[in-house]
Amino acid sequence: MTVTIREPIPELSADQRSFRADVRALLTRPEVRDELTGLAARPPGDEPVLLETYRLLGERGWLAPSWPVEYGGLGLGAVEAAIVTEEMALAGVPDDVHVLGVDIVGLFLLMEGTEEQKREHLPALAAGERVATVLFTEPGCGSDLSGLATRAEPDGDGWRLYGSKVYNMKSQYGEIALCAARTSDGPVPMHGITLFLLPLRSPGVHVEPVPSMADECFCLVAIDGVRLGPESVVGRVDDGWRLMNDLLQLERTGVDFHGKARRLLDLVVERAARSGRLDDPVYAVRLAELDAKLRASHALAWEMVHDLDRGAADPVASAMSKWYASEQFRPVLDAGMEVGGADALLSRWDEEAGTTARHEADYRMGPAHRLASGTSEVMLYLIATNGLGML
Amino acid sequence: MTTRTQPPARTLAGATPDEVRAECAELFHDDLNPVLRRIGDRPRGAGSRAAPAEDDTDVRASVWATLADMGVLSAALPAHLGGSEQAQRILVEVAELTGPGLYQSLLPDTLLAADLLARDGRHDRLLTEVADGRTTVALALRDRGADEPDAPGALEVDRDHGTVTGSRRFVPFAADADLILAVGAVDGAMHACLVPVDQPGVGVRRQDDLGRGDLYGVSLDRAALAPDGLVRVDRHYASALARARLRHAAYLSGLCRGALDLTVAHLKERVAFGRPLAGMQAPAHRLAALSAENAALLALVRRTARVADSGTDGIVLHAVQAALLANDLARTVSAEAVHLHGALGMTERCDASFFYRRAAVDAPRFGTGTGLRKEAARLLRAAHNADDPGRG
Repeated sequence: MTVTIREPIPELSADQRSFRADVRALLTRPEVRDELTGLAARPPGDEPVLLETYRLLGERGWLAPSWPVEYGGLGLGAVEAAIVTEEMALAGVPDDVHVLGVDIVGLFLLMEGTEEQKREHLPALAAGERVATVLFTEPGCGSDLSGLATRAEPDGDGWRLYGSKVYNMKSQYGEIALCAARTSDGPVPMHGITLFLLPLRSPGVHVEPVPSMADECFCLVAIDGVRLGPESVVGRVDDGWRLMNDLLQLERTGVDFHGKARRLLDLVVERAARSGRLDDPVYAVRLAELDAKLRASHALAWEMVHDLDRGAADPVASAMSKWYASEQFRPVLDAGMEVGGADALLSRWDEEAGTTARHEADYRMGPAHRLASGTSEVMLYLIATNGLGML
Repeated sequence: MTTRTQPPARTLAGATPDEVRAECAELFHDDLNPVLRRIGDRPRGAGSRAAPAEDDTDVRASVWATLADMGVLSAALPAHLGGSEQAQRILVEVAELTGPGLYQSLLPDTLLAADLLARDGRHDRLLTEVADGRTTVALALRDRGADEPDAPGALEVDRDHGTVTGSRRFVPFAADADLILAVGAVDGAMHACLVPVDQPGVGVRRQDDLGRGDLYGVSLDRAALAPDGLVRVDRHYASALARARLRHAAYLSGLCRGALDLTVAHLKERVAFGRPLAGMQAPAHRLAALSAENAALLALVRRTARVADSGTDGIVLHAVQAALLANDLARTVSAEAVHLHGALGMTERCDASFFYRRAAVDAPRFGTGTGLRKEAARLLRAAHNADDPGRG
């Protein structure tokens, strides 16, 4: 399946255009396409983890191009990182491992980790050879992490962790996790949170799958007295709330969400063209309007990338970009159902399923985009409070 | 015959969009915008003879002269007439700034008319006068109200006598302009007819409309064309219209910004159920969502302007899409502004009602929402069938 519509990015330099062409060329190589096509043939529950495609990107320094060379990157900037993210999304490369390992855990370590932590983990993450996951959300708290209950109790010069983390991804495959735990109590619930690097294959860590309607399951991670030394702390003790707020904003350009929505819409348009429905104004007008919104989303997301690249990230504008991009999934998926008709309901495991089979999986995944990386309501809250001075 | 002329004394050649925006922001300042919004507003039912108040006319002339002095009117002209290589990037910034004040003027018409005439190559003297602010041009794009500017309908031209006959309606500021540029099909090809307003063959009648401003019906009855006044534009009308739509989308984005700012300020003041309305989630999230939509619209406008300045063809679909998003958003935001002001929003003293009425008039200036959607759908099909032209 070819992606039919690619946005121009007039702000890119010649070198950045060349970099994008190189990444795009790699992702259209036969072995990559074969691997991605093969994912669709996997049985339920067989999730993509460390793909060969990741290794191909990683050996070129492309999984984390903005990281310093000594940590497996290329010493480039946020633009090149966004190019990789966008091209992976447009090509349909599963990105959970990339987002978790590079965009979140890797970023936290890069910005706040010790030199030992960086050397131990960053090269492996940048090479696409290690899975790192994020353990923030708990059964009792999600968007508001000030309510987290996982405790880190002092134990000699270190801590013992007790608690449960849920709705995390890939923990069943992970080696390490960035885990938020409460290290002290006080009147302000945001205070007293610390981030730790938790080895997931330790005694005392129990990972249990939580099936979801999407292809990839959630995990419930029970942590029962795992001992961590001082070398496991990321950043400063009790400084976790600030780090989570500051650093999670950096991943929020909207480029990834736009890329996935654009890929979905392009597939829908392609199906509409093949079925003749693109010649029907009733369908064509609807798709053209969605195309317009995604074009606007792309322009806004890349403004965020360039702001980030020049060290001027705007959390309010980033929230706008994430909100706007993720709000497009529902109408795009609905349009796909209209264009495909009943055929769009067939899963890829049905023997009659044709080219619309992917839509069934995408539809099941749909609601996740408005929840991930900050829910739509949290984004609106950020815009209303910090941008408009309301609430 | 082409006449070589000097560019205006002040041009924007070499100026950056940010510099021009900063300078224009002083003219379209938040403190002045409430005044600007009411310039030229006629009483309801004033009818065809209602001229604007004398003070309003003076303010308009002053603002126009300032724009000319700043070089804004020459920005999109060829380089030898003072044009800028960043013309569209500059002009979308200026247009966005005019939105919060609902600035009513010949600016959109002048820029599109100049775009069409400049490509003809025979009108340098006129364009210099336009750039200096000495000569104004109103653009006549539709006869019937339902006409779309992509297909403005026919005009009858007598080439032997140099006259044009036809009807054009909803022409902004026709009574104030020196010239009318009527666009339409002549002998099956798209032409622009340049007609001096002050002559016996031209009739101008003010239309009493929702915006209570300056729309006119224009009748052309064997009206004499200006010298070299019949200009064939079929080869570049679509791209010139695209640039006009882009600038107009920027204006509408500014309109949305103004309406949102007005509404947020009101909700911070207005207390209900013991606290300011701004402290309630429902209106706060609604305004946050609309602000985000406006940010996305403006990002698309700015990016497309950058592509237009690069000389790359292929902005037509992008401009249509920006226009349709702007068309929808301007009406939605202005309607929400009235709603969130409550009954106050319905009153004449509340600017929310101005945003609401003017948005309805201004939004379809270069195409109705439905017309733009149909055009976007046609262009999307064409782009798809041509395997991705103008992309990537």
